Amino acid sequence: MAKNRLRSALSRFVDIKPGEEVIAVFLFLYFFFITSPYYIIKSLRNASYLSGLGDENLPLAYFLTAILMGFIVNFHSRLQVRLPRSRLIIFSLVFFFSNIVVFWWLSGQGWKWVPVVFWVWANIFAIVLVTQFWFLVNDVFNPREAKRMIGFIGSGAQLGAILGGVLAGVLARKAAWLLLPLAAGMLGLGILVVSGVFRWQRQQTDKIDSEARDKAAKSTKVGFRDAFDTTRQSPYLMLLAGIMMVTLVVSTLIDWQFNSIVSFKVEGKNNLTSFFGYFNAGAMFFAFLFQLLLTSPIIKAFRIRGALLLYPLILFLGTGGIGLAALAGLIPLVPAILIKASDKSLAYSLNQSVRELLYIPISPEQKYKTKIFIDMFLNRFAKGLGAVILAVLLWLVPRAPGAQGGQGAIRYISLIVLAIIAVWVFLNFRIGREYANLVKSKLEKQYERGDLLVAQRLDVDYTKLVFDTVESKNRSSVLYAMNLFDLIRQDKLTPEVRKLISYRADEIRAASLGGMFEQTETGLGPKTEDELSEDVLKKDVQEIMSLDVYQDVMKDYLEKTLADKSAGAEVARMEAAKAIGFMDSRAPLVGKLEDLLEDGSPDVNRYAIQSAAALKRRVDVPVLVQKLKSPALREDALDALRKFGPRIAGTMADYLADRGEDNELRKTAAAILASIGTQEAADYLSWELTGAGVALLDEIIDALDRIRTADPRIRFPGETIRLTISKVTSLYCRDLVDLHSGAEPLGEDASRRREKQLSDSLWNIFKLLGLIYPQEDMIKAYQNLKVGTKDSMAYSLELLDNILERDIREVVFPVVEDLPLEEKVKKCRSLLASLGEGKDRNGRD
Amino acid sequence: MRIVARHKNDIVIFDLEGEIKRSDITDVTLHQLVKEQLDGGKRKILLNFDAVEFIDSFGVGEILASYISTHNLGGKLKLVKISKKLFLIFQVTMLTKVLDIYEEEETALKSFF
Repeated sequence: MAKNRLRSALSRFVDIKPGEEVIAVFLFLYFFFITSPYYIIKSLRNASYLSGLGDENLPLAYFLTAILMGFIVNFHSRLQVRLPRSRLIIFSLVFFFSNIVVFWWLSGQGWKWVPVVFWVWANIFAIVLVTQFWFLVNDVFNPREAKRMIGFIGSGAQLGAILGGVLAGVLARKAAWLLLPLAAGMLGLGILVVSGVFRWQRQQTDKIDSEARDKAAKSTKVGFRDAFDTTRQSPYLMLLAGIMMVTLVVSTLIDWQFNSIVSFKVEGKNNLTSFFGYFNAGAMFFAFLFQLLLTSPIIKAFRIRGALLLYPLILFLGTGGIGLAALAGLIPLVPAILIKASDKSLAYSLNQSVRELLYIPISPEQKYKTKIFIDMFLNRFAKGLGAVILAVLLWLVPRAPGAQGGQGAIRYISLIVLAIIAVWVFLNFRIGREYANLVKSKLEKQYERGDLLVAQRLDVDYTKLVFDTVESKNRSSVLYAMNLFDLIRQDKLTPEVRKLISYRADEIRAASLGGMFEQTETGLGPKTEDELSEDVLKKDVQEIMSLDVYQDVMKDYLEKTLADKSAGAEVARMEAAKAIGFMDSRAPLVGKLEDLLEDGSPDVNRYAIQSAAALKRRVDVPVLVQKLKSPALREDALDALRKFGPRIAGTMADYLADRGEDNELRKTAAAILASIGTQEAADYLSWELTGAGVALLDEIIDALDRIRTADPRIRFPGETIRLTISKVTSLYCRDLVDLHSGAEPLGEDASRRREKQLSDSLWNIFKLLGLIYPQEDMIKAYQNLKVGTKDSMAYSLELLDNILERDIREVVFPVVEDLPLEEKVKKCRSLLASLGEGKDRNGRD
Repeated sequence: MRIVARHKNDIVIFDLEGEIKRSDITDVTLHQLVKEQLDGGKRKILLNFDAVEFIDSFGVGEILASYISTHNLGGKLKLVKISKKLFLIFQVTMLTKVLDIYEEEETALKSFF
């Protein structure tokens, strides 16, 4: 009950599912209770450093932090190996809690080195605790969950920052001595909350995964070198590292500009502390609103790629403004405040969220190593690098033409910032693309198409011919010889087949063909004194059959044979049908094939159909098409028509398009076009998509899918496919609504039928998507949605989210997303309304 | 190729020797020899392939032409002791349906009656 109320309250701000409310609140509070003390500490840090040492010494602070961070990373990774995550985090919180107490005492001593140490320590505090927080978030959530909740959870940081900032602002002038104890108290509450997180984790059913992750993290020896190598070896991680660096270099330069301008305008340590306190609070308030209300919608609407660009774009515009103001000889306090506020708020809301999402598809082992390197070491190294750049610039600026002290520095630094932002934007484009590729790589194909597997592993024609050969042994030596010859003709008389069809020695008659393949100790093979050259045999038979005299000699025989419809003459007619297939298609005797195709005996028909396939005469096509209606001959006729290939694509298209024709025949025409598999065949099938009834739609879509699988170069009309996706989605939605509307309960059979229709429609949607997007990706997405684990389903959706264009996403996602049934039905209803598709499968409203 | 004719009763037996192939056409072909016999009133022809090493489609054409000529005059033309390879070809091309083929000369000769 309480959980339901909690979820209901949270759902106003966040897309939250049952079971997620507790962990969402815990993580929100965890982030809150590590950020609020930090913002108190940060205000104190800035104020004590600027008042004690001045802004010109800031590069030193950045530099020292960067240097020391390498040692911290190493130490932290050693601890990570030895301790489970829960213990490491709690240990770290307790450690920093005790540090605050020490600094509280030190702050009263007035020693000059304290501000430097405090500055460095404050940065370490932030980096270590925030990195550990994000490690935990990565452990708990998959990409889909993270995307939904990152806005809410991240807003804990903003609220914490606001509170910390306000407290610093208010208390700095009246009771500055209270600030550090307050920070310690908040951190203490953080320890309690984080214990709750780990208790929740232990209660979850997939605790095996988190134990495995902990085990992986613990057992992975991560030194600094290892973390660096892991990052270096992955182009994706190098991009992440690159983006982190440029972001922080820009941030450092902007930070210096801001501090420089503020220290010029605000005097006195307590005033500075107060200013920074209020400023941080204000910036974080804006960040909080942004995080809570805008981050998730922006990520959802623009996806990761779009969301990555917003932050640098805003900084670009702001920096441009500062540069222009400096050019005009102004000390641009307001622009500086605005750009710093933007930098701060976006860094800790949208940018942080998107950056954490970029980590999620990485393997846990890589993540642990690379986060240590990037978030801990590189974070500060980049600031150090920014400091070096700053120091160099500050040294150079007085020498630059037209420089005017502080304004000159600001002007030139703005230019440098603009250039670095351009690099940043380029890297963001690259990583956006790589993110989609990485998500793809998390999905495995679960199984291959059955018909493809059969086709790849089995030569069906060959198998049938071997069976025919073995069967004909008992019926007719002539037929047997012909089948053997057919195997030879197709270069399929393999040693295995010879063994299979061998005669025993005592069954051999000298004049029989079997003697040619007499079984020996070593298996079948021709006798050496009468060696059978297969090539010569093929040539001889062909030449003989093309002789005019042969055609004359055989003509009477064939006419007599065809005229004899008795059962005893059936074998003779089979032989005749088979033999005709060996002739040239222009030979006069081939004309007899038409009679044999109409023969009353299915066996005779079968051989005649095979010969028609070999001869490929267009005149035989209509008869073959009619044979499709016969259950006994359908498969043979289908095989035969397939062998005609592209020549009959137009004919098949005519059958497909003929609405007066039998539906089964039209479906077969679609299947034949699929086996033809040319661009022309694909075009014919695509043309029929828009007008196809439901009965035919499945077959046409399957045919297109098979063509696409066989030849990725084939192109399909995008607009038609999109319309068909909408159509099939409507069918799906209609079936779903009917199945679950509850108005009139369906019987068991009807329910099962509807379930099957739903399943078929879903598969059809993905087959269609595979025609306009990379097919392999769509197949993986479909299979993992159907049979995958919870995580692989999430990656499937994430992949679709990143690949599909907006209009298609809006149509398809209500159908594929993992929503509660009621919500899915609701979304289907509104989708049906928006598509204007109120009709059911039979065309009824 | 060498062709030697002998007679047994009123049956003409052609003993073929060597290779019957296109590139080896002699002055007188098998068909011509058969026709000569037919012109001489013979109506029973037996072709003996015991010593034939090779036969190509030209050779088969000769056989068939001889068969037609004999058949058209109401006669009978039969084959004896053809190779297994040739028999295979005759089977595949259905010529075994038309041509009478025997393994032994005695059996072949008896079959004319």
